[in-house]
Formats: sequence, structure tokens, C-alpha cells
Amino acid sequence: MRRNMALAGIALTGLVLAGCSGDLGINRAICDGEVTVDTVTMFAHEGAEAGAISAAVDAFNQGPGSELGLTAELTLIPEGQYSDNINAAAASDDLPDVLDHDGPTMANLAWNGSLSPLDDCIPDDLRGDVLPSLIEQGTYAGNLWSVGSFDSGLGLYAWRSALEEAGVRIPDGIDDAWTADEFREVLVALQDVGFERPLDPKFWYGSQGEWFSYAYQPVVWSAGADLVTRDGEPTADGVLNSDEAVAGLETFQGWIQDGLVDTAAADDSNFLSKRAPISWVGHWMYAPYKEAAGDDLVVLPLPDFGTGTKTGLGSWAWGMSSTTADPDAAWALISHMMSLDVITAITEANGAVPGTQGAIDASELYSEGGDLELFVQQLDRAPDVAVPRPVTPAYPAITTQYRAVIDDIVQGADVEATLDGAVAAIEADIEANEGFPEPTDEASPSG
Amino acid sequence: MSSTTASPADLAPDDANDDAPNVGLAPTRRNEARTAWSFSAPGLLFLLVFLIIPFLLAIAFSFSNARLITPLPTRFTGVDNYVEVLTSGTFWRGLLNNTIFVLVVVPVQTFLALMLAILVNRKIPGRTIFRTIYFMPVVTVMAAAATIWVLLFNPDGLINAVMETITFGAFAPDWLNSTTWALPAVMIVSIWQGVGFQMIILLASLQDVPDTLYEAASIDGATPWQQFVNVTLPGIRNGLIFVVTVTTILAFRLFDQVYLMPQSPGGPLDATRTMMLEMVQTGFNEQAIGRGSAIAVVFFVIVLTITLVQRRFIREEGQV
Amino acid sequence: MSTTDPAPRTDPGAHATSDPAAADPANDDAGIGTSGTTLRLKPSDAWMYVVMVALAIFFLFPLVYMFVSSFKPDDVVLSSSGSLGALWPSPTVGLENYGDAIERASVVRVFLNSVLISTLIVGGGLVVNSLFGYALARLKFRGRNIMVAVMVALIIIPFEALAVPLLFMGAQANMLDTYAIQILPFIANPLYVYLFYTFFLNIPVELEEAARVDGAGPVRTFVSVIAPLAKPAYATMAILGFLFSWGQFLWPVMVTRGVAVRPLPLGIGTFQTTPPIQWGDIMAYAGLMTLPLLIIFLIFQRYFVQGVASSGVKG
Repeated sequence: MRRNMALAGIALTGLVLAGCSGDLGINRAICDGEVTVDTVTMFAHEGAEAGAISAAVDAFNQGPGSELGLTAELTLIPEGQYSDNINAAAASDDLPDVLDHDGPTMANLAWNGSLSPLDDCIPDDLRGDVLPSLIEQGTYAGNLWSVGSFDSGLGLYAWRSALEEAGVRIPDGIDDAWTADEFREVLVALQDVGFERPLDPKFWYGSQGEWFSYAYQPVVWSAGADLVTRDGEPTADGVLNSDEAVAGLETFQGWIQDGLVDTAAADDSNFLSKRAPISWVGHWMYAPYKEAAGDDLVVLPLPDFGTGTKTGLGSWAWGMSSTTADPDAAWALISHMMSLDVITAITEANGAVPGTQGAIDASELYSEGGDLELFVQQLDRAPDVAVPRPVTPAYPAITTQYRAVIDDIVQGADVEATLDGAVAAIEADIEANEGFPEPTDEASPSG
Repeated sequence: MSSTTASPADLAPDDANDDAPNVGLAPTRRNEARTAWSFSAPGLLFLLVFLIIPFLLAIAFSFSNARLITPLPTRFTGVDNYVEVLTSGTFWRGLLNNTIFVLVVVPVQTFLALMLAILVNRKIPGRTIFRTIYFMPVVTVMAAAATIWVLLFNPDGLINAVMETITFGAFAPDWLNSTTWALPAVMIVSIWQGVGFQMIILLASLQDVPDTLYEAASIDGATPWQQFVNVTLPGIRNGLIFVVTVTTILAFRLFDQVYLMPQSPGGPLDATRTMMLEMVQTGFNEQAIGRGSAIAVVFFVIVLTITLVQRRFIREEGQV
Repeated sequence: MSTTDPAPRTDPGAHATSDPAAADPANDDAGIGTSGTTLRLKPSDAWMYVVMVALAIFFLFPLVYMFVSSFKPDDVVLSSSGSLGALWPSPTVGLENYGDAIERASVVRVFLNSVLISTLIVGGGLVVNSLFGYALARLKFRGRNIMVAVMVALIIIPFEALAVPLLFMGAQANMLDTYAIQILPFIANPLYVYLFYTFFLNIPVELEEAARVDGAGPVRTFVSVIAPLAKPAYATMAILGFLFSWGQFLWPVMVTRGVAVRPLPLGIGTFQTTPPIQWGDIMAYAGLMTLPLLIIFLIFQRYFVQGVASSGVKG
């Protein structure tokens, strides 16, 4: 084995010096309806729904899988190390057939050749039932590369009694969200009635995962800017460092500098014990918050920084690896993960917005009149209210930079200079990748 | 332990050959050289395959635009990566933080380790208990230690509760979110976790100093301080050199703490960014292997230079 | 704690003999060869104890905090941190957090993986590195001085710099997701070679010469004379090596996929992802990671420093 490693090392040196080449061809999966293999492998991240996913795989093996003579093998990987793990797997040609991935990373996985498009495999009725927001998230370079069992919701949770005590207006829905100025007044009014740092921003989730990007990109969108251009070769210059983006983030920074935000919390107790009566967080906190606040809990849209309230969308989704031996087998498993029963089980476990209209109708929380109907209304108005994080292969660099931006401006850094620095880094990454030319069917077949 | 004393025999197939001419004689130089090579061979082989070859690969990468996963062709790019690294503000910030860290931690940790070693080397009841306690942080996995200290450094945490009591509320910073106090917090954790190891090395060295030397010094009327300077310090020279050399290198390799402790790695505002962190984020998280490798090479050259300078002034005894 | 350690014996006769050559290498309890007394500084012992206790508190309280917190409800861990209540297990949920930690992260499997990986790394490393260090310290051969210098230079290379090339090499050799890929790269370690080298420099040459005169070959000399004297070095490397391999994170993330060969530290990720955060479970998992090492350390620490003063053999 040691000799193998040594030989591999020498071979690789040659490879590096000679210059190894990939290619930009799409490895198109063809579903002919016949399953010709007997196992299908799948990676999934180990989130709140991990149990439901395991159960779904077991059900597959006993039901549709056994009918096809197919056994699914699931590998659960903790979320914090998931993207590093699949990057290492992709770099070493070690990907499974079905690949769970965080929505915004799809374009990079598609661009670098890890995924195959699903267009040939997904039946029209399912495509029609999947939420438009998820189709939006899963589409890149004219192809559909992923579908998710669930979508996400982001908003402000509040203790109604605290808002009433402060005597502030409580918005009814998306169209009369608090403006950013009004929101500041709300926070000040809450401070006046004794809530020392009324806004819980969940900074303690840390900037290592997607949280800072998911939660605080809406500030920039709502201010009328974006992170990069969405058409053609991505560019951040003049977009992420535009006047609108600077103004939006300066407003956000102002709340922190005025001491209105609980930046020091390291768990959820500030909202649960009503010390911080407003929480800027996603759908996953509904259950614990409801338990603590009961009927006193209200769910509101994020503040409007100028062009209406905006929110994030998308979450983990299923893709088919380009190295899969039999696309029909991989699709059989993905299709099972998109069935009503599985989606219902998964979203009951993680509290997320069900990924198909059919499953939403079956959900008490998310259907009309439910506590979390707001999140569905936001998604229905994608990409106008719920906005996908930029669907571009440059996203890994963009999100890394944006998280650092949030972290830095929370610390009091100058917003404009910070954004200029982030723009420079994103542009450098785009240049290093030769502008991320879109993959096409014309490029030479894989070699 | 017993397995280790038995197994070297398996690794030296020419044992019998070596033995034959040795009976009753001093070994010849050639024999000794052959023994030396057979003793070194397994280590050399492992180091070659798992350290030297990969490092040469990294050097090769550093002159290319190699990326972890890319559909684009890999090209030779000359010294572009090096230019980029050496003109990057974050790299220099990392080097600066590393330098501050080394200048503070190496002397403080070495001094503290020596003090601890002297304390637990005294023949007093309970010394093994103290020695054990001082060493316990060393056997704490960094992932666990970092998690614990993050909670301890929380503004409402135990450290600040103590600080407020001692200073009557005058000093209670938000350690890990403060550009001033984040690096000192990392230093405290590093010293807490690392000093026990140095203590043990120095303790072993202290116990090598022959008693007769102290007795002689005592008879000559040397004060305790004179004994320390003239007997103890020269006696533990090799141990001290080891400790200073290794602590310096490991201090430059600082990574785990600054990755795990701040809210974002290297934060706030790059106050805890180090060269290693810059390398991992560039080479792995951002997949730019070429540039990440260039950082590794620059890092290696800088630390090697410092180590060589250090060793010009201090050399082990017995080294020719 | 003290029960695993030989009780310190104050033996007035310990000073009587101090001829290094008198140490009996065959005796397990023999020291490096000299007496362990040090400075004859004699300030009041009481003052010394105050300093030692203060230092002990500094080194101990974070660990106490971890274990105490691991018995508390998740939401109390942080809120009770700002007072001395942080160091007192009240309110408590008993072993519930440990139960959660074990159940959620396949702890038994990953624990055994870690034991296997770390044991093989350390076992192989003790042999390979000590032989190498001995050759560098004691045997005369061309290139020796250069090799010592190279060894120090190799210490500088951080593993993080090698990870990606090694990943490619491992993939080419078809070794991903195996135990081997987690073990082989870590057996030889220039730091430990240098550690042994430093230790062996200090061992009196007379002992080896005596063994050689008795007709022992180099291997026998090493096994029966040198290695027993170097117990502190072996123990130090064993503990550091175990600690390092036990705490590995980046490399297993890159080369392991499923739970089959995954080591212990990757499991902590299970608790750091899904809100609400469960500090109690995290502390329990941190405790589970730390405890085996603490136990190993407490068992082996007596080999750390084999001073005559603690063994009393020389009196």
C-alpha cells in the first residue's frame, strides 16, 4: 500500500506538471426506465430530519426498491463537515449516486461536473407539483439539477405581548412589513419598556455555515442591490458595493451600534425567556418558540429596507452524481424522497416548508390559515419576495465573503470599505475560474 | 509499552549479521553505519512517502492554478500565486498575528513550564498530584478544549464573573468578540493546553542533573540563585533547546484554536487570523490549491529561517 | 487520582549514592540514572503550596466546568456560567446528556474506530520514531547532522499543507474510507524523532559500551539497555501521539465517508448543527472524548518522569 501511495505521488507530480484537463461538457443522465444495478448509494447531511431520511430509505428498500431489485445505502454526514466532505469526495472521484447538497451550492457542483441534470428523469406531473421556488433554486444553465423535499422560511418571531406593551404597530403580512426605520423605532420602544437588547439575531450560530448568508442577504436585496449580477458572467463590482447595499448594511449596523441587538447570546434562552422579544430566524425555531410563547407568538416578515420585504429561500436538495452507473436507479431513490409520505415525514421532523404543493395542502402549519402560512406566501412570490441566493458557480466564494462582511460590520468595520474588499476577493475568484464559462452539451465527452 | 521493547527486532533483518563481528569487540564504523541505516530505514521510508513526496507535490501545485475540483485545464502559472500571496493583506495580517503570538507565548510558556517543573520536582508530599493536574489540559482534545473555553470566555461566563469580582467591574471584555482581547484569549488557551508538555520535558531534564553537582556547589557556598544559573540551567540545556525550538514552531503552526474559538475563524476583523488559517481557507475551503500551496511554501521558508537563526545561537550538546 | 501514582516516598538515604552508572537498567523502576533533587531553594513550604494550588485551580477549572456542565439541562449550562454555580452540578439531569450523546452519534462504533486508529499510530510510531531518534543521537554515519537538521525542518511542515496532495495520493491508491489511510501517514513523525533524539543524547555512553563489551549487538543493546532508560520519552510520545491522533479532525473529514471507519471527533458535529443548541449534550460528548485520554494518562503517567526521588530505588 505504501508503494501504491508513493507511485500515486509520482504519477500525480507528472500529472500536475503536464497539466491535467477537465472539461465543461454536461454529463447528461438518460433515464430509459430500466434499472440495471442492484445498489444505489446516497449521502445526506445529518440535520433534524436525519431520522426521517433513514426511515425513508428503509421504506424504499422494503417497498419500491425491492420491486426494482434495488437496495439503497445511506451515509449520514454531520452538517458542519458536509461540504468539506463532499468536496473531498468529488476531488477524489468518490461521490455517491444520490447527493444531498445545500441548495445554493448546486451551481458550483453542476459547473465542476459533479452533478448530472435531472431533466430527462423527472416526470412532468412531479415537476409541476414541486414548489416554483425550488425549481428556481435548482435551475442553472438551462437545466434542472436538483429538487428538494423541503423549502425554507425566514422571518421575525415576536412575543405579541411585548410588542403591545411597547405600543407598536404589528404588521399583518408581507405587504405591510415594518420599514427599516420603523423597525428601529420598534426596537427603541421595546428598549424603553425594559427590554435591554430586544433583537435576537442568532449571531452565535457562527459564520461557518450558511447562516450569515441566508439570514442577512435579504438586507441587501431589500435595499435594492444584490451580491452579483444574475445573467451572464457574474460580476460583484458595482452590485455588492453599490450605494444601495452600503446604505442597507449601514442601517443594519446602526441597530448593533445603538445597542439594540443581543450580540452576545450563545443559546436560545434570550428569546425563550422573553429577554429579547424579537428573533430574526428561520422556520426551524417555530416548535421551541411555540412551546415557550404559546399563543403569544407571532411570525412577521423581515423589515423592508426600501424595495419591499425580502427573504431567503431554498434548503438542502437532492442531486444525481455524474458518476452514477444507472440514472434510473438514482432517480428511483430521488423520486421516493419526493413522495408525499416522505416529504410529510421529513418536514414534520424539521419543521420546514414542504417541497411540493401537494404536501403543503396536507400540512396543518403551512396550509391556509396555519401559523406559518406567511412562509408559503413568501415562497409563492419568488423571486420577488423570496429570493434565491445567487445561482452561480461563484457562490462558494460569494458566500464566504458575505459571511465575513456580516461578521466584520457587526464588529464595527466600515461598511463601504468592507464591501469593496469582499468585491475584490469575489472578482479574483471569478477571474481565477476564467469567468465560470457555462457547461454545454457541445463540449467534448468526459475524458 | 512492553510491545515496543520487543518489536524492534522484527524491523532489523540484518540483526544476525550485525551481531557476528561484534562479539567481544567494539563495532567497526561500517557496521555502525549499517546499523544506523537499518534503524533509520522505516522512519525514512514513512517520512518520504507521507511527508516529503506530498510536500514536493504541494510545491509543484504552488506554481500552477490547480483547484480542488474544476472542469478547467490546470496550467503552469509561474510565480503568480506567490505574487498574490505576498501582496495579500490578510496573509501579512496572519504573519503579524503569528509573530505577536510567538513573541508572547514562547517566553511566557517556557518560563511557566520551567517554574512548574521546578515546583513539582521538589520532594514534597502531593507533588505527583500537582504534576498530574498541571498536565491534564495536555490530554484534552482541542475540539473539546475550544468548546469549553468559548463558554468560559462568554461575556456572561465564568472568566468575566471572576474578573468583575477581582477588578470591581472595571475589566470584563467580550473576549472573543473584541479585536483587542481575542488574540490574548487564544494565547491563554494555548498556554493552558500546551505548558504541561513543556513542563514534562524540562522535568525529565531537571532530573538528569546529577545531585553531586548541587552538592559541590553547595559546599562551595553558592546561593540558590547561583546554583540555578550555574548548575540547573546548563544541566537542562538540551531540554530547554528542545522546548524553545518546538514551542516556536508549533506556535507558528497555530490553527485549531483560531479556527474553532472565534465566532468566525480568524475573527473578529482578522484579529486572530494566522498563516495556517489563511492556508486552509484558501487551499481547501476555497479550493484554490495552487495559492494555498504557495502559502504553505512561504510559511515553510519563513519558519525555517527563524529556526535556523535560533539554532545558530543555541546548539545541542553532543551535536558535532 | 493519586492512587494510580506511586506515593512519593521521602527517603533520607536517597542522596547517599549518586553515581549514574549505578542505575540498574534491568529494573523497571530505575531512573534515568541520576537523582531527582533539584534546587536547594528552601522558602517556606506553605508559600509554595499556595502557588501550587493557585496554579492547580487554573489548570483544572475548565475541565471541572466541562464535566459539571455535562450533567446539567441544556438551557442551564450557559445561564449558570456567570457564577460559582458553574462549577456545581445543580440542577442536574443525571446521565441523560450522556445517553443522548451515545445514542445520537453511534458513539460505540466511532469510539472503537478511534481506539484502533490511535493505538496503531502510536504503537507503530513508538518503534519507528525511537529507532530513528536513536540512530541520529548515537550512531555515527555520514549525513547524520544533515538529517538532524532536516528533521527539525520537517517539523515545520504542518499537516494541513499536505492534506490535499495526500488526498489525491490516497484516491489514486484506492485507499479512501479505510483505516489504513487514517493510520499510515501518521506513524513517522519528525517531532517525535527529534524528541527521542534529544532524550538519547542525554543517556550516558558508558551504559551502551558496557553492553557491547558484554557481546550485545546493536539491536539487543537498544532493546535491553537503551529503550528501558527512555521510558519518559516513550511515555511522552505515547501520550502526545495518542492525543494528536485522537483529536484529528480535518483529515478524517476528507477521507472518511460513513460511520464505518469514522473516528470520534467527527461525531461532535452531530450536536453542533441542528438548533436548538444542546450545550449539555455537547459537554457530555466533549467529556466522552476527553475521558479515555485522561484515564490512559493517569495509568501511564508514572512512566513520565522516573526520577529516583519518586521511585526511591536508589536509596
